[in-house]
Amino acid sequence: MRRYILLFVSAIYGLAGYGEARFPKPDFTSGYQYPEIFHGVPMENLWNIVDIVLLVAMMSVVVWAAYKKRSRAVIYSTSIVSVLYFGFFRSGCVCSVGSIQNVILAMADSSYNLPWYVALLFIVPIIFAVLFGRVFCSGVCPLGALQELVNVRNFRLSRAVSLTLSIIPWIYLAFTILYAATRSQFLICRLDPFVGIFRMGGDLGMIVFGVLLLVLSVFVGRPFCQFLCPYGAILSVFSSLSWKKIDITGKTCINCALCGKACPVDAIRAPQSSKMKEARSTGVRRILLFAVLMPLFTVTGAFLVGQNSDALSRAHKSVYLYEMIQEKAANPEMEEPLEVETFNAMGGNIEELKAEVDVIRKNYSFYSYLAGALIGFVIAFKLVKLSLKRSRRTYDVDSARCTMCGKCFNYCPQNLKKK
Amino acid sequence: MRKVYRNIAIVTAVFMLALTLMLGVSFYQMQQVSPLQSEVLQTLKELNEANGDNEGLQQQIRQLDLLSRKAYFVKESQLKLGIYILLGMAIVLVICLNMYYKETKTLPDRQLDPIDDWMNKSRSRKYITWASCISAAAVLVVLLLQNVKFGSVIEQVEESAEEMLADNDTEGAPVKSVASDSVTEEVVADTTATDAEEDDLPVPKVTSNAFRGNNSSGISSARGIATNWNLKSKKNILWQSSIPKHGYNSPVISGRNVFITGADNSARELYCYDVYTGELKWTVKADKIPGSPSSMPKVNADTGLAASTVATNGKQVCAIFATGDVICADMDGKRLWAKNLGVPDNHYGYASSLLMYGNELIIQYENNSNGKVLALNAANGNQIWSKTSNDKIAWSSPIIANFGGKPALVVMGNPAITAYNPSNGAELWRVECMSGEVGSSPAASNGLVFGASEYAKCIAINGATGETVWEASDYLPECSSLCATSNLVFCATSYGMVCAYDAKTGEVKKEHDLSTPFYSSPMVVEGKVYLFSNSGKVYIFSASDFSLINSFETGEKTFATPAFTDGMMVVRTDKSLYCVKG
Repeated sequence: MRRYILLFVSAIYGLAGYGEARFPKPDFTSGYQYPEIFHGVPMENLWNIVDIVLLVAMMSVVVWAAYKKRSRAVIYSTSIVSVLYFGFFRSGCVCSVGSIQNVILAMADSSYNLPWYVALLFIVPIIFAVLFGRVFCSGVCPLGALQELVNVRNFRLSRAVSLTLSIIPWIYLAFTILYAATRSQFLICRLDPFVGIFRMGGDLGMIVFGVLLLVLSVFVGRPFCQFLCPYGAILSVFSSLSWKKIDITGKTCINCALCGKACPVDAIRAPQSSKMKEARSTGVRRILLFAVLMPLFTVTGAFLVGQNSDALSRAHKSVYLYEMIQEKAANPEMEEPLEVETFNAMGGNIEELKAEVDVIRKNYSFYSYLAGALIGFVIAFKLVKLSLKRSRRTYDVDSARCTMCGKCFNYCPQNLKKK
Repeated sequence: MRKVYRNIAIVTAVFMLALTLMLGVSFYQMQQVSPLQSEVLQTLKELNEANGDNEGLQQQIRQLDLLSRKAYFVKESQLKLGIYILLGMAIVLVICLNMYYKETKTLPDRQLDPIDDWMNKSRSRKYITWASCISAAAVLVVLLLQNVKFGSVIEQVEESAEEMLADNDTEGAPVKSVASDSVTEEVVADTTATDAEEDDLPVPKVTSNAFRGNNSSGISSARGIATNWNLKSKKNILWQSSIPKHGYNSPVISGRNVFITGADNSARELYCYDVYTGELKWTVKADKIPGSPSSMPKVNADTGLAASTVATNGKQVCAIFATGDVICADMDGKRLWAKNLGVPDNHYGYASSLLMYGNELIIQYENNSNGKVLALNAANGNQIWSKTSNDKIAWSSPIIANFGGKPALVVMGNPAITAYNPSNGAELWRVECMSGEVGSSPAASNGLVFGASEYAKCIAINGATGETVWEASDYLPECSSLCATSNLVFCATSYGMVCAYDAKTGEVKKEHDLSTPFYSSPMVVEGKVYLFSNSGKVYIFSASDFSLINSFETGEKTFATPAFTDGMMVVRTDKSLYCVKG
């Protein structure tokens, strides 16, 4: 009975709250004395706990579905739950993909306190990746899940091109580090293609980008996951070293190639014998060459990005404002930009601004070199990796690329026969 | 059944396209509409304001207002409903497409090729290598272009200076040093003129438009300024040029032009030098001005006939002399106008510097009787406003400060510091706090105005209200002006003491007994305070704690305040004008 009374009272309060928002104060005075309005503090912490619990639960379900049941239906169901809950209900924020930025900022700036749930959002999928591969990408990440749900056909780019494009997420990650560590902006949040769809509003450009990406997802499997997602890049590293590897058939592979054709992210490697038309010594020399060139690539990357740090620092609002003030001072006849007008109106001190800009530029210089070094290293590492020859007798899964969507389970005749 | 799914998918897709188009148009219309700013509503509101108590009209406005709001929100909810329908349709479309393609599992159309994967890897390696090389080359080109455009300015200047040196066949000296005789001057002017025409040096962005920088603030945003130089060995000296006529005024920089004035009993002149080469580009004479005295007024040797610093707005440059002659020229040295304000009755000689506020030339015209502050149109010399003052004569210069977004012209005299609206000359506030002979100029920072004068006091005034915040009298300047950051106020005296007051309390935070007089004013640049003693010794302090960073002799007496721009500092000494490179 108590429970029903509590529910009833909650509903009344809820309606009262709705009414208050529905009928704001009119635009004229009538002498009426408005009562003081109290706003209750929302239970944000509760939702954070629900997020984490659901995240772990859904990933556990995916592990069970992928390793034990080999069932796409279960994984597909988690995708629906993820899109509805993490996407539309929680408005796609904070997500594990975006949590990279909070973690970087916490590492770069000791004054920033990393919220516990953001730390968990970042680390839990990594732990699962170390154990079971990219479980998070399968049906738990709302961004991946949304693309998964709309995917109908699977037109693939040439494997050579998709291997090349897989460097882009690392470049994205490098610039994410640069902009987050310098407190300039959270690039991932700013360029999140689907947040506008989840919130059904927002920046028009981003909504258009999101819709276009979604239309592309109908015909191409997970374009965002394959060619853009920086968190996917991090997970791919841990996933390639994972404790358990996914097994499509659970029995002997009959090399029917159906799984390879079904895979939307080109993560199934075809059988390959060592019939290379190349001497072994040539291949070894190539690997050694790229390995030796690795430091050179790293230093070159660091130099090229580091030298552009001043230009990159314009992404920071203070630097941008300072440069506008300088430009205005140099051209007194130019129209005063709104930002400069506001700065002056707020009694801004140019000297303090300059001191701040100097510190920001110094930071930019350091992190630009770091970001450039990361890009250079990744390119060199990729070249070494692409120079390795492996023999395979059957189709197997590239753990680093596999997003565990489970499509291959439904295509594999051996798997279906077992069921 | 497949056909049914296909047809549903096609119909849904068509409807989705149509709906997307409609929603797009609706969204665009909503963006354009501001419900409460309709023309009808605005007209009715204006009518209401004109008619006063017309209850019927007010009722009509309220109803229309309500209708406008309703229309807006109805449209918004329709838009939202449309988005939901679109989402629903998208779900139907995806389901239908999935059902349509469900039965199309086929075997791969290509036969397995054992070297396929290796070929892919080889191609990918090639793509990555090429893409990396092209990207790296593109970034390098961008870097090089940036360097050509903005960077390495000094190196280029050095090169051009060395070329000039070779042309002049000057022995030993690494940069040109212009002797004071006119013959050498002409030679240098000729050779550098060619170089200046041919060089491709950028126009420096940082300006120093008046005495002590822009707005006469005592702060410059210049970067890369040297902290050590030597006039004898020419270390970090870009050029050094002679000045045709003497003057105590300070250099002013706008673009590539450095402006100073000089005067003697025979002529009063405005000079323009090239900031990169030190070449004297042009001279404008203050002559043939109606009302100008035929004989020079008596002035003190410490003041001279050209003590006032010029001011520029980047289009016009104006100068004033002890005769009361004001001249204005364009950037090419064409005299635009000239007028005589009346010979100032000034026992030391007229010394207040000019200031530009947009198109206004502001003059603190100090006279023993009926001094005034006036604003002239810099383009034609027409008077915009004038405020007569009964204050006693002073030698201070005006500044422009900004208080809560409102600019104020702050003028310091005896006995008051007064703030005016620079647009119309309306007095904003006035604080009577000075006495004696006021030669120092005020400073402003963080909403406060600071003023100080020997035998008076150092005072901080709230720029918005005119209320006194603090007063101090520990160390007071005679000629040197104050300059301030948000934390400290720097003061240099004529008896060798320099100090930093706390900007918020007036407490002396740090002091140095340097035992050498200072007439030049301190300048805050790049977190440092640059200060020249009368003997030419340079002191560089940290602007954060006023600790001494460096000090050295230049060997030439210096009374003027230096001007700063990108990587360069221009200093006027008793004998010459020189440029220090960063």
